[in-house]
Amino acid sequence: MATATQATELGRDRLLALYRRMQVIRRCEEHLARAHQRGLIHGACHTYVGQEAIATGICAHLTAEDVVFSTHRGHGHALAKGVSPASLAAELFGRSTGCSRGRGGSMHLFAPEVGMMGTSGIVGPCILQAAGAGYSFMLRETDNVAIAFFGDGAVNNGAFHEGLNMASIWKLPVLFVCENNEFATEVPFRYAAGNPSVATRAASYGLPGYEVDGNDILAVSEVAAEAVARARNGEGATLIECKTYRTRPHAEGMGDYSYRTREDVDLWKTRCPIIRLRTHLVEEEFADAEALQSIDDEVESEILDALRHAEESPWPDGSTASNHIFAVSSAFPPRSPIRNDSPGPGGREITFMKATLEALSEEMEANPGIFVMGEGIGQRGGNFASTLGLFEKYGPLRLRDTPICERGFVGLAGGAAMTGTRPVVDFMFADFVLDSVGEILNQIAKIQYMSSGRLTMPVLLRGCIGIGHSAATHHSGNYYPMYGHFPGLRVVVPSSAYDAKGLLKHALNCGDPVLFLEHREVLSIKGPVPEDEYEIEFGRAAIVREGIDVTVVALALMVHHVMKASDLLEREGISVELIDPRTVAPLDFETILTSVRKTGRLLIVDEAFAPFGLGAEIAARMADEGFDDLDAPIRRLNGVHTPTPYSPPLEKAVVPNPETIAHAIRALIQE
Amino acid sequence: MAIAITIPRLGWNMDEGVFVGWLKHDGDPIRAGDPLFSLEGEKATQDVESIDAGILKIPPTAPRAGETVAVGAVVGYLLQSAEDVPEPPANPATPEKASPIRENGPAPTPAIRNDHPIPIANSPRISPLARRIAKQLGVDWSRLRGSGSSGRIRKVDILAASQSGTGESPPYRAVPLSPIRRTIASRMIESHLSAAPVTLTTTVDATNLVNLRQQFRATDADGREVPSYTDFVVKLCSFALKEYPALNSRWGETEIRIYEAIHIGIAVDTDSGLLVPVIRDAADLSLRQTAARSRDLIARARAHTLRPSEMRDGTFTVTNLGAFGIEAFTPILNAPECAILGMGRIQRQPVMLGDQVVARERMSLSLTFDHRLVDGAPAARFLQRLGQLIENPGPWFMA
Repeated sequence: MATATQATELGRDRLLALYRRMQVIRRCEEHLARAHQRGLIHGACHTYVGQEAIATGICAHLTAEDVVFSTHRGHGHALAKGVSPASLAAELFGRSTGCSRGRGGSMHLFAPEVGMMGTSGIVGPCILQAAGAGYSFMLRETDNVAIAFFGDGAVNNGAFHEGLNMASIWKLPVLFVCENNEFATEVPFRYAAGNPSVATRAASYGLPGYEVDGNDILAVSEVAAEAVARARNGEGATLIECKTYRTRPHAEGMGDYSYRTREDVDLWKTRCPIIRLRTHLVEEEFADAEALQSIDDEVESEILDALRHAEESPWPDGSTASNHIFAVSSAFPPRSPIRNDSPGPGGREITFMKATLEALSEEMEANPGIFVMGEGIGQRGGNFASTLGLFEKYGPLRLRDTPICERGFVGLAGGAAMTGTRPVVDFMFADFVLDSVGEILNQIAKIQYMSSGRLTMPVLLRGCIGIGHSAATHHSGNYYPMYGHFPGLRVVVPSSAYDAKGLLKHALNCGDPVLFLEHREVLSIKGPVPEDEYEIEFGRAAIVREGIDVTVVALALMVHHVMKASDLLEREGISVELIDPRTVAPLDFETILTSVRKTGRLLIVDEAFAPFGLGAEIAARMADEGFDDLDAPIRRLNGVHTPTPYSPPLEKAVVPNPETIAHAIRALIQE
Repeated sequence: MAIAITIPRLGWNMDEGVFVGWLKHDGDPIRAGDPLFSLEGEKATQDVESIDAGILKIPPTAPRAGETVAVGAVVGYLLQSAEDVPEPPANPATPEKASPIRENGPAPTPAIRNDHPIPIANSPRISPLARRIAKQLGVDWSRLRGSGSSGRIRKVDILAASQSGTGESPPYRAVPLSPIRRTIASRMIESHLSAAPVTLTTTVDATNLVNLRQQFRATDADGREVPSYTDFVVKLCSFALKEYPALNSRWGETEIRIYEAIHIGIAVDTDSGLLVPVIRDAADLSLRQTAARSRDLIARARAHTLRPSEMRDGTFTVTNLGAFGIEAFTPILNAPECAILGMGRIQRQPVMLGDQVVARERMSLSLTFDHRLVDGAPAARFLQRLGQLIENPGPWFMA
């Protein structure tokens, strides 16, 4: 136990409040364990029994505006941050009054209104998200702090390395709180760690690191007070290793003595943080046993009420199961007039890349919450000049060069978006971002849903796609069909300067995560772009060319190839109608269907792979909804299903070109 | 309980037929066995008799004359009392597995209209759009030929077919394929693809046959029917087949079926195509009986009133194109029969008889036989024997 002086300084009421908070966590967990046995909890239940001092000691220093990102063992963090036992229990019981409205359960607890930004079933993301929240606070110039709670299992994960390093170089107001309970699930930390000290790892990142007895709430509280103060003062992040032990199994219902001994568990029970504080309170005469007993009784009754309330709560309505995948659009009105049409004739012509640069600059001017992250996007202005001149205009905080740690800064972007800023991640090549796909699909795409719409996720993820100029297979991927598969993402693939500008501006005003994928071979193609600001909505296809004989759907570079093929075919008397969906998700199928109703023929030209792709999706829907309008089979012309080769003749062989497209159209006309 | 009247299956392969017309009126009392309506099947038109009794109710949805109807489709009802007519189902649907057995109560299948042909196994391929437009324009696509690269009927084909019915006239006259025409076509192709036909041709002296027939003509001047050359040849064939039973056979896939009974089909040209009624037990009939039988069959073939059973079970076929001035031709086997005899025209020709040129009546005979069943030599011997009989026919009719 830390010194009596410290205890006195904390004051009697605060000590009793800490005691009470720990007891709330303990009693709640014990009753949840019983409820799990009764079958009231439908999925996993990881309890926090034995570790109560850490959440309680840290969160005692936080305000409602400070934020916590947590792990699968997060009940204690939620309760310590202000989530009520009733809404925690109701969530585990799957009820509509649960803190995630029944969308999460034990491992996905969200209560942003009290700063509980989510627990996660994946180990590591909370570290990056807390860094992102820290970035938001820094950009918004608040003195809030972000806490990442994680176990010893997370410190051997890349997120730890990337997150702590970014927090260090940018001096982010974050506490990284490692609860070292000796086992990552059931793998001993002493086995899994080359350096068994977590706290000393802080030095590797230039951060202060502390090791503390995690079962001593006064010790935890003391270290937390200092670290929180540092963070609020702009002095940056701290790593705190709290040595502790969970005295219940990894999850309720799992065996416990195959990887540790009963003796060890019993020994740790004697180090119970609640008993230790209780003894201390009595010995130092802050409270007598009777007073503490009455707190215990109150807590017991409060928890029983909470569980009863949870059990009596209504079930969520099955018809709402797919609500909250995206933000409510009325909450994100467009900033500029909507112009889903095509640009009129005349006027200036600029390149695709210049159009996106204009869009980004205009929006950054209008919204100070927008910041850009990426490799070489600061002073250098971006590999493809995507941020050229912006650094001078908006400064280093909003044009943030990153280390090469895609997972790290994408995860960070998610945390930033959850806390009120609008990150733009410029990952140069879409291939690079595959290392961060877990952050995109498991976190960024799901958090609006998991939080039942109480968090929004305005993240713009932009980068180059496409085959050409011997970029070979790590700089040529397309990937949009993959992203289009998942709920929660907007996937934009523009083909022209006009579309790129309007869609990028829309992306920077919507509430959803957007993958903005720019084909490298169209970046320097010029097109008409009006001087006035405008936005193009998602899910509105462009009819690039009107025709009567065949409908061709194409994206990005393929739009230009199809135009060339169509010019050729026009001389042969074949009239092509070309549809550019512009966004893969949402997909404007109606416009395609309307066109096929006119032409009776459909060809999808897509540089991306055929299997399970855009063409497959359009063809399946057409066979369903447009069957009686088809005068011929639906055809696809895709890039060859192979990694992209380097050598020009090999590369040329894997991409559709105007000749192969014309050939495919002729064949379809003959069908 | 109203009893549904359904379209029966005539013959084995029939999936649809053409509704020729009602033989009774709406409201007529019907006794079991009364003919109800006429139906054109694959080979013939048949009067369909009622199995049950009742008051005939012809609903407004009943097919009109000339409409294609699916086997199993309900075309009317026999009311058992002054009961209400069952409502026909709202959606004309493809009938269930076609069944000639009528069911009690309202069946789910009203008549299939011409503009809504049901897909059948060998129906042409058509794009969904073309199918829809055909329905809108009332175009019967089941007889169209598609212009798609794989023969698929496309929108343009339907529009062309539709225009040919209304606006500009196409450079041809489109004749829809009747069930009979389709059967002929498939039989011809089947015969052509599966058999191993070989044709032997010979010319025989038919002077005595001409003379013999002349005697009938002279004798029957009072109006009795004179046997045709075909009748003579059918009879002579029956004698020859008795001697060469290998030619009186049918292909049975796993076996050759040689028949004792001699049933000789005669090819009849009708306005809707070729029909082959069968003169059963030709060997047992006299020449006059044969003539009478063939006359009746030919007349009814041309009137489309042959029963399907009258066109089955032939063991040999005779086809005569002599009346058209054809000298010799290549008859196509009437599968699965082993052989078919083609008669050319009888022509008066100069022939050397000793040192003298004399006029003789010459006739060509073409025998197509299926080499799977018999070899060339026996077939040639049969043809040679038949030639002998034709050259001296008299004694064969004295029995």
